[in-house]
Amino acid sequence: MYSPNESGAERRRISRGGLIAGICALVLIAGAIALGVAVWSNRKFYIVSMLVIVFAMIPFAVSFEKRRPKPRELVVLAAMIALGVAARAAFYMLPQFKPMTAIVIITGAAFGCGSGFIAGAMTAFVSNFIFGQGPWTPWQMAALGLIGFLAGLLFNRRDGRLPGLLPLCVFGALSTFFIYGFIADTSVIFTSYEKPTWELALTAYGAGVVFNLIHAAATVVFLLALARPLLKKLNRIQIKYGILE
Amino acid sequence: MRRDAFYSVHPAAAMLFFVIVTVTTALILHPVVTGCSLIAACAYAVYLKGGKALKFCLCFVLPLIAIVAVLNPVFNHAGATALFYFRNGNAVTLEAVLYGVNSACMFAALTLWFYCLNCVMSSDKYVYLFGKTIPVLSLVFSMVLRFVPRFVSRIREVAAAQRSLEPRLKMSPVRAVKHGLSVIGVTVTWALEGAVVQADSMKSRGYGLKGRTSFSRYKFEKRDGALLTLMLVCFAVYAAAAALKRIDFRYYPTIRAAGCDAPALAGYAAFALLCLIPLLLNILEDAKWRALRSKI
Amino acid sequence: MACIKVEDLSFTYPNGKKRALDGVSFEVRRGEFLLLIGASGCGKSTLLRHLKSVLAPHGSTEGRVCFDGRPLSEVPDREQAERIGFVFQHPDDQIVTDKVWHELAFGPESLGWDNKRMRIRIAEMASYFGLDPYFDSDVAELSGGQKQLLNLASVMALSPDLLVLDEPTSQLDPIAAADFLGTVRKLNTELGITVILCEHRLEEAMPAADRVLVMEDGRLIFDGSPRGAASALFRASSPMFRAMPTAARIGCPAGFDEAPPLTVNEGRSLLASLGLEPKLLPSAQKKECERRERLRAEGLYFRYEKNSADVLKGLGVTLYGGEIYGLVGGNGAGKSTLLSVLSGENRPYRGKLFSNGKRLRESFGAFEERIAHLSQDPRTVFSKESVKEELFSAAQLRSSDPEAAVTAAARLMEIEGVMERDPFDLSGGEQQRAAIAKVLLTEPEVLLLDEPTKGMDASVKAVFGDKLRALAGMGIAVLLVSHDIEFCAEYADRVGFLFDGSIVSENTAREFFCENTFYTTAANRIARDTYKNALLTEEVTELVLSERKRS
Repeated sequence: MYSPNESGAERRRISRGGLIAGICALVLIAGAIALGVAVWSNRKFYIVSMLVIVFAMIPFAVSFEKRRPKPRELVVLAAMIALGVAARAAFYMLPQFKPMTAIVIITGAAFGCGSGFIAGAMTAFVSNFIFGQGPWTPWQMAALGLIGFLAGLLFNRRDGRLPGLLPLCVFGALSTFFIYGFIADTSVIFTSYEKPTWELALTAYGAGVVFNLIHAAATVVFLLALARPLLKKLNRIQIKYGILE
Repeated sequence: MRRDAFYSVHPAAAMLFFVIVTVTTALILHPVVTGCSLIAACAYAVYLKGGKALKFCLCFVLPLIAIVAVLNPVFNHAGATALFYFRNGNAVTLEAVLYGVNSACMFAALTLWFYCLNCVMSSDKYVYLFGKTIPVLSLVFSMVLRFVPRFVSRIREVAAAQRSLEPRLKMSPVRAVKHGLSVIGVTVTWALEGAVVQADSMKSRGYGLKGRTSFSRYKFEKRDGALLTLMLVCFAVYAAAAALKRIDFRYYPTIRAAGCDAPALAGYAAFALLCLIPLLLNILEDAKWRALRSKI
Repeated sequence: MACIKVEDLSFTYPNGKKRALDGVSFEVRRGEFLLLIGASGCGKSTLLRHLKSVLAPHGSTEGRVCFDGRPLSEVPDREQAERIGFVFQHPDDQIVTDKVWHELAFGPESLGWDNKRMRIRIAEMASYFGLDPYFDSDVAELSGGQKQLLNLASVMALSPDLLVLDEPTSQLDPIAAADFLGTVRKLNTELGITVILCEHRLEEAMPAADRVLVMEDGRLIFDGSPRGAASALFRASSPMFRAMPTAARIGCPAGFDEAPPLTVNEGRSLLASLGLEPKLLPSAQKKECERRERLRAEGLYFRYEKNSADVLKGLGVTLYGGEIYGLVGGNGAGKSTLLSVLSGENRPYRGKLFSNGKRLRESFGAFEERIAHLSQDPRTVFSKESVKEELFSAAQLRSSDPEAAVTAAARLMEIEGVMERDPFDLSGGEQQRAAIAKVLLTEPEVLLLDEPTKGMDASVKAVFGDKLRALAGMGIAVLLVSHDIEFCAEYADRVGFLFDGSIVSENTAREFFCENTFYTTAANRIARDTYKNALLTEEVTELVLSERKRS
């Protein structure tokens, strides 16, 4: 039955699996950039980068499938993903204020990097399934997945101690602004222009700054308010019901 | 939403259609290809959703086209035919303007194809498509979709309950955020409690045993085979024409199109037919119904 | 042959001081319909969970459970998944997937059936349980009763030999509950499936059962026939007796405790055989002059969307201070909608609302107008980590002395003992009382309650009813929306019947119910030929007893 040692071992295994998957992804991304530079003409570039993004997600999916998560972990993970999507309803009066990224970070911190990536990618996919898929779906999946993955890598403690609020918020702000913002803006440039010039890129990123700032601020606010209680609740449920038993 | 004949097509065929159409549309900037794709996507979207799709086209797609079309010549000064010059000496060229319009239309076509995809690809179909290759994730997808409406209604319920216990002040953004956060906290506690029961219910029905299969409600019928063949033939003809460089369009430095000979025309026709498959299927079915009814 | 044999089973939770199960032994034959009853928290659920290995709680277990002649621990998980079906209490929590067909397929998928076999079984299940019209639908579109039937169907898809049901109808309205129990009964009689049912709604379940087990504090105190259970509980003057079917509660004190009647029909024949003299109870005096109007609605019209149908159609109702008003009516009659309009969450598009005689603005605040609304799930009002904080947060808004106000409210609702606990860890009845205490601290004049007795057992209900009386005694106007006719009959002063968006009849509880044929208490249905306006079991019992003594 449930014992803390077993769950610790399980977690380490997850982390290692996630780490391998992460390295694969990084290699693929590097390859994509190299490829993009090599064939810098035509719209092949767009398709190549899109494909690489899709491919980069495969190792994560495979390692998650291979791990065969227990029902309780699956349900709680699904609940957190759904929360990220549904939480919009609680802030209907503030449309730009999206708690999605913060909840992905919290999930990553609670469940480790493998599940963190899945939480991020799935949140983006489901949110787009409900509010409308678009050419941006894979980009958003990759961006949020990466954030969830990094959150797991940085903040998932084996001893069950809660991560510090300050580092969490700093990470939240930086990752939202740079990772999510950068990837989202880049997707717009790549989708609509064949040959993105530096000038164009700067303008696009410049135009995105305000949105990304709001998004980053929202993430910080949500982390400040939700991270501790949510992590406590998730910890409690992991102890009380032995999720990783 | 109207009854759509393409909706009943086997999910694999439908998904392949969307993949082929979006990839070919995104792969090349060619006025004829983009035009075919845009018109077909627009027509299918309007067929599916009527006025709603029209509104989507006008309010979202048109402005998008306008913005991208205007932005391109501002930043892109390639092209030989200068229309006028900015003060800093950069030229706005005819090629850049046309290029901008083309790429904007391509973006619009993609958006509209995704709009149609949203109508056609229900969650069942994703679950079916991914159920065999990534069973756990497709189950998580289905579980999330089960949770979302429950959470949304729960969030509304909690918000209403808690609002009625407080003085009704003006909702400042700070208060709105505070209120929303407290609602989410309560909803999470409730959700996690239910999650434990749900996991029990899964275990109780044997989840986690080896050799899980996935139920399929879809049968690959003859019609699906015929559609798939048509799709692939169209795509092959188009791809052949493209490979022969008969479907080529160059914007910079001057606009130059490949000649309009037989292979090129065949390629265009094949692509147009490909894009129109869902709509044609619907028209055929409507005609058949009319014929059946007039016989009665 | 025994399907399940429990031998001297004891169980203690990891940090529990007391044994949750204490030396429980019983046997269930194949094809038997077994009913397990007991007060809330007596260990019923713990016992049921021991009947399937994957559900057994963590803790120290002694004794053993045998399934089909083998110890349960030796029965492989796959076989248990297939042969032991389990349905839980909350219909919503157990559903895993988003589509009805997928939910039906979940069990067969887990066991790795091939597509052809699944297709046949799922088709069979959908049509047997009447789910075929919803086959393609999202689960979210089903009603509570349909959801629970779906849960039953998706368990039955594996064609188990044993069906274990843990309070499956406690969250359903009476009609859906009767429907559900009827289906379970059908499965038992038509397919010979062994059923172990744990329930506290016994009016229908007792007559259906072959055998009854009664639990108290983790021990089995009775094992025998349903009639035997009623008579044993009566003779032991156990508090559990008040949970028995009305017919038995009338029959036992009247001297028929050897073989008490269980159904309304049996109760009627029994009373008829006694040859009692018809009698009318005096109807309650209306205290017209004392009561003070708190909230009045006139001609309310409401619909959710511009193009949808009206939910409220010219509804008018008046609530008086010091009075409990019970509102009954079928599903979808608009009961919950009415509450949301009265509390200002939804605005009527026509009609007026008056508070203390003064016309309310269109966008009034419930807090300002001292109207409190408690939705079906009391947990929606909790937002803090302990009951104490919960109460303080509410008290600070109104009271100059929050400390004293909190103490008073806690004492009134009898929750002093749980002040330091997390509101989410309380039992259902305690949660309901804590929620009311919190709401009370906003000092309401009108209290709107939506199905407050859902899921409560008889004794918890009685405590709750007394609390409501106390509130009314403080001058609060209480509106009670409920499916629970027995509760309304006992505690409401006036009762209204909401049908098709308006109140079609309204009267004092006694007049109201004794005029109805179907919508009335079981006691009234049993005794109406002799005592036309007797509503409560106690009233009938008393009348019968006094008559028997005289003759």
